[in-house]
Amino acid sequence: MEKPIGSVPAFSGVTYLRPDHRGSPFQIPVHATATPHESDSATEATYRSIVEHAIEGIFQTTPDGQYLLANPALAHIYGYESTDELKGNVQEIARQLYVDAGRRPEFIRLMSENDSVWGFESQIYRKDGTVIWISENVRVIRGDDGAVLYYEGTVEDITARKRAEYELRRAKESAEEASRSKSQFLANMSHELRTPLNAIIGYSELMREEAEDLALKSFIRDLGKIESAGKHLLALINGVLDIAKIEAGKMDLHAETFEVAKMIEEVSATVAPVVEKNGNYFEIAAAPNLGTMHTDLTKVRQSLFNLLGNAGKFTKEGQVRLEVERLTDSGRDWLVFHVRDTGVGMTPEQTQKVFEAFTQADASTTRKFGGTGLGLAITREFSRLIGGDVTVKSALGQGSVFTLRVPAILASGETVESEAPSDSLGAPPETAEFVAGQPQVLLIDDDPTVHDLVRRFLQKEGIQVIGAHNGPEGLELARKIRPAMIVLDVMMPTMDGWSVLTRLKGDPELSEIPVVMLTMVNNREMGFSLGVDDYMLKPIDRSDFVATLRKYCNRQDKPTVLVVEDDVVTREMLRASLEKEEFVVVEAGNGVEALEKLATLRPALILLDLMMPEMDGFQFTREVREHADWRDIPILVMTAKDIAAEDRALLDGQVSRILQKGACAREELLSEISHRVARCARPLETVAI
Amino acid sequence: MKKLLLVEDNEMNRDMLSRRLERRGYEVLIAVDGEQGIAAAKEHRPDLILMDMSLPVLDGWESTRRLKQEPDTQGIPVLALTAHAMAGERDKALAAGCNDYDTKPVDFVRLLGKIESLLPS
Repeated sequence: MEKPIGSVPAFSGVTYLRPDHRGSPFQIPVHATATPHESDSATEATYRSIVEHAIEGIFQTTPDGQYLLANPALAHIYGYESTDELKGNVQEIARQLYVDAGRRPEFIRLMSENDSVWGFESQIYRKDGTVIWISENVRVIRGDDGAVLYYEGTVEDITARKRAEYELRRAKESAEEASRSKSQFLANMSHELRTPLNAIIGYSELMREEAEDLALKSFIRDLGKIESAGKHLLALINGVLDIAKIEAGKMDLHAETFEVAKMIEEVSATVAPVVEKNGNYFEIAAAPNLGTMHTDLTKVRQSLFNLLGNAGKFTKEGQVRLEVERLTDSGRDWLVFHVRDTGVGMTPEQTQKVFEAFTQADASTTRKFGGTGLGLAITREFSRLIGGDVTVKSALGQGSVFTLRVPAILASGETVESEAPSDSLGAPPETAEFVAGQPQVLLIDDDPTVHDLVRRFLQKEGIQVIGAHNGPEGLELARKIRPAMIVLDVMMPTMDGWSVLTRLKGDPELSEIPVVMLTMVNNREMGFSLGVDDYMLKPIDRSDFVATLRKYCNRQDKPTVLVVEDDVVTREMLRASLEKEEFVVVEAGNGVEALEKLATLRPALILLDLMMPEMDGFQFTREVREHADWRDIPILVMTAKDIAAEDRALLDGQVSRILQKGACAREELLSEISHRVARCARPLETVAI
Repeated sequence: MKKLLLVEDNEMNRDMLSRRLERRGYEVLIAVDGEQGIAAAKEHRPDLILMDMSLPVLDGWESTRRLKQEPDTQGIPVLALTAHAMAGERDKALAAGCNDYDTKPVDFVRLLGKIESLLPS
């Protein structure tokens, strides 16, 4: 069909067809028609060489989806040995290549609008059935009458990039999730720690007072030590709680108007004994006309306490001076507070780290000066929350100057709305996107981070989460949607979890819905006596939580398919296809994961890949068939692997059917699944294995 | 002798706080949940109620709301106590009708100050 031209010998890979003027393709040796002049054959040879050796796939296709031209790179990208093989096998691009049947029509639509597309990204089946991502740049070639003759363009395999993007997104999401869990854990822990500490501090104070009455001198001293250690621990916990709240974005601001001079007077009076304890001279230099501020008073006051307290602590028989002035900068009024001391000072390295949590100037500092190591970190966070900042200048042995700058008026954007005090201000119920066929779990919890976590945990499991942020809203939603189960927090404003539970169990229409408590209040007896089905403690343990919810979410109308496949892209593609057919999809990345899933749910069918890490499809099949409860679950094997006779023997009688990836079109796969699921739904006709 | 009603479900906190208040010359009545608290308030008409917020049966917010709706009890000052030093707690307590708010663990001197300022003279 083709012969080498000029010095370019290797043409075997390129098949070149051209449409005639009526647009119907027929095959012509390129060298005869591509250029009108024989003398141009060298130029043509150059072009052909470029096509032949290009790294990108190059093609021409007819509007109805046949190849006119394909270069070796394209065949290679699509997994074919040669361009002939590609063209011989792919007669209909729309159906055979594109994973999403809507892609080619979309492509044609874009071409008819713009005459070209750039960076058109799609998923494509390779010859062996694996799925890759490609990006196409294509333009249209029209005849004199404007009719489309053919499309021509390039194809780039972008699977690696897509994968990297996916991994990056995953990594980012899991990092964010970890950070949120950490903050939630800290907040919960701090709360739990405060309660017993309340008793320790309280009783030691009480006993010290009683010991004073009885003049038990040695007891007084020791009880005082317990009390002060308890208070130090409390300060630490409060600091940790503050940091956790700031990191979790839950620190609220309450702006109020106050006189700066009066606030300074109060702060100074409170902090003076601490500053003067080391024999320091405490001096205040306030400019006249400081005026008023409208901001969060407690944050400003706390920041000043911390700065002045620190100055006093690190200065001995020296001077601590507070200077205050009001100035205008960038159109805003600012209050600037300088806290100067003549204390130990810091090296430049220490200065850099001084605002980080738990890093006092050095480890020995804590032993020598005490403190939590959190004060300056909190001061900086507080000052930033109210739109300001805190900076430091210091030299070793020459004291330090901390400067706090705060806008006189808190910008409205910086005001964080406080948590809703009543129902009317609560977040709107999230009833917008019900997904048909998925079991629904109603989560009643006032903490939005819990909503976020639970939603993430359950999304993958094919369980839909409907959120309510307080008791009354939860009760209303429960009546409206009749969820498969309810997850309930205890400590909520307006109406606590116990009251919600009492009402749920007292309503004949709702009393059958399983309720699981999810709370940091450890009071199982109370829960079970009021009729809860399970009791879980925060922080949430993901696997426990999912397993528990699985138990109560069997009330599904739609059959579940367990997809066991290590390739994320294929798994997602299968999920999309199956969900469209109204299956509930549960995913597992390998055999081990799949066995874990089976422990908590019973799918109507298992869709199984053979080649997987950790535990492959062969071993997984053996495990499933050895288990009495799972023996009759139909398994469909889909594999890119050419099944060897001995492999086939391994699976023979163990699985319902083996489907070749790629060879098996999507419709065929789906109809096979529907067929198997329908069969196993009829009890007398369970699938013969 | 001024009569205080302490509504608190945690036994240790209840014991400790009531003993300390008694040492300061107050008569202290006890209730362990919101419903008991309301009943005790109606029956004994204390001069002030110290109300924990995380209470079983009926929480402190709802209990306070009910106390403030009843003509018999709405005049009794309610001082909210809560272990959550969480954001918004103060507003929530005040929105429910509490006259003041303090966090646990209690700073006893500060608490005494708040009690004194709320008590009718």
